[in-house]
Amino acid sequence: MTHLTPDELIDAMEGLLAADRQAHLATCDECQGQLAGLSITLNETKLASIPEPSPLFWHHFSERVGAAIDHDARGTSGPSWLRWQILVPLGVAALIILGLMVTVPKPDVRDPSLALQAPQAPQALDSWAMVTELVGDIDLDTASAAGVIEPGVAEQAVLHLTAEEQQELTRLLKAELQRAKS
Amino acid sequence: MTHESVLPVRPWTVALVKPLAELDDSELVSATIGGSREAFEVIVARHRRAVYQVCYRFVNNHEDASDLAQDAFVRAWRGMKTFKGESALSTWLYRIAVNVCLNRVSAKTVATEPLESTEQVADVRIEGAQHAMIREERAVAVRKAIAELPKKQRATLILRAYHDMSHQQIADVLGSSVGAVKANFFHALANLKKNLGSEP
Repeated sequence: MTHLTPDELIDAMEGLLAADRQAHLATCDECQGQLAGLSITLNETKLASIPEPSPLFWHHFSERVGAAIDHDARGTSGPSWLRWQILVPLGVAALIILGLMVTVPKPDVRDPSLALQAPQAPQALDSWAMVTELVGDIDLDTASAAGVIEPGVAEQAVLHLTAEEQQELTRLLKAELQRAKS
Repeated sequence: MTHESVLPVRPWTVALVKPLAELDDSELVSATIGGSREAFEVIVARHRRAVYQVCYRFVNNHEDASDLAQDAFVRAWRGMKTFKGESALSTWLYRIAVNVCLNRVSAKTVATEPLESTEQVADVRIEGAQHAMIREERAVAVRKAIAELPKKQRATLILRAYHDMSHQQIADVLGSSVGAVKANFFHALANLKKNLGSEP
């Protein structure tokens, strides 16, 4: 017959071993020795008490549990938008915006002299010169088609025409009007 | 700890005409679910020692054990509504404590308490100081050996040897089979026997 398995040794230790296996145990020195060793170890384990904390500890412990529950309750109560998962990202976003407002330079409009000087800054003049160079060859129709010309610019252009140019413009407009009527 | 009667302002309080400390566990659970913090305080007072001892056996030092026991009760408070009463409240609390210990111990090396701080009051009138010292030294060795067992073996041994839970109850706590519990118990004892030596 085979020796007792670990499960059977535990059953034997607790008096729950089946009768046929009990018969084996009664005649097997090896199983008896193993069982005795386990039983001795278990008894010794049970005797190993743990140090008893101070009597004051238990009262303190209950207070700690109560405080931890209060803390836990505070963490999960209140409106959902007040929870840290919401508040932290909002706070970070607010800090970023505030940082940008503080660090990005802007003209001081309270100082009139600075406001007048601003367009004449070297950087602005360079930019205007570059734009002038780029659009110098563009005619009026191209600019108009591109939406560059603003209202009132046509009237300004007419005022700059010579007398002959104005007469020619008048003739062309009348011809266009007559053609439209016909 | 407050042991006051609870005013009958909610249905569950109607039956609570006696002091909280005189209620049984199931009545305290009902009162706790009904919102009575005082009832839960009585539960803590009633079971704190056993829960602490489970934790102490696991980690073998007072500081960690008290932290783990506190964590276990906070979780019990949070989950009280899930307690169905199918097992004893103590079994349910042990289950929580063991799970807290298993989770914590997996992330932390077990620290053992120095020998000097584990002195126990010995009954010198009966045993004599020398005998008590030898016994305490042996107890320290056993506690240290237990704390070094693999987690499942440790949990099984603690619940079986010190809290007298059945194999089935331990299986429920650990979420395993009775066969696995018996195997863990056997290996726990075999490892202890090997680590402690045969001489008691």
